[in-house]
Amino acid sequence: MPEFNLELIIFSILTLFMLGGAFTMISAKQTLYSAFGFLVSMLALAGEFALLNSKFLAIAQVMVSVGAIVVLSLLTILTINTKVENLPKEPYKYLWIAFSLLIVSPFTLLLYKVLTTLPAHFAQAQTITTKLVGKTLFSGWVLPFEIVSILLLVAMLGAIIIAKEKLKGENS
Amino acid sequence: MTPNLFFLLASLLFSIGLVGVVSRRNLFVVYMSIELMLSSVNLVFATLSRLLGDAGGSTMAILLIAVIAAEAALFLAIIIHLYRQSKTLDSDLFSDLKERT
Repeated sequence: MPEFNLELIIFSILTLFMLGGAFTMISAKQTLYSAFGFLVSMLALAGEFALLNSKFLAIAQVMVSVGAIVVLSLLTILTINTKVENLPKEPYKYLWIAFSLLIVSPFTLLLYKVLTTLPAHFAQAQTITTKLVGKTLFSGWVLPFEIVSILLLVAMLGAIIIAKEKLKGENS
Repeated sequence: MTPNLFFLLASLLFSIGLVGVVSRRNLFVVYMSIELMLSSVNLVFATLSRLLGDAGGSTMAILLIAVIAAEAALFLAIIIHLYRQSKTLDSDLFSDLKERT
């Protein structure tokens, strides 16, 4: 009888949700259903982070990825509100997906083999606490942190300028 | 629990994202697939952080979440701009840079 391993059961459930969400995302016809698959996938990813004892990362994932990115995507999709007949025609969608899965699968195997050259056991059960992450972020990682803040500012400005509607007198 | 399971999940997620980018023509699906690929890299970082008992991986993952947010803002702005121009979400029709008509 296999031993009762709660972590493994939780991992399996989360993996099921995650892969199901991801497959829904790439195969759904309606854009909104894809977005819901994406939402499920991101929530399950937050669960995986919690399972890996990275509490702060799990909270950040829920707040930023689910709370901001997915909601923003949903809002954009609902604002654009494309009719079904205006969606891109993809008559051979499943064929394309199956074909590219076939093409990509050796690459997946390669990726897995490369990643598993590392030791196959976790270090002693150590929680990456928020305090530890904060200390690392503001000691050795200050420069990347500042660069990311500039990146966010520039991305915000760029998004405003790109999405802005042209004014009447303004010529392209 | 071994890290290999997490690595397997991350590589599967990356591949699903890659398949979505390659095989779909809906711009939103392409965008969400790119997000999925970035998030799978995030999962690798978190696993490495636990594997090595070091907070550097988690820190890098947090920075990567910020990068993903910036990418989402720009991509959605570009989608809105393209949709306003030509009222379609088909990525095959956007070839302005190839041939200017």
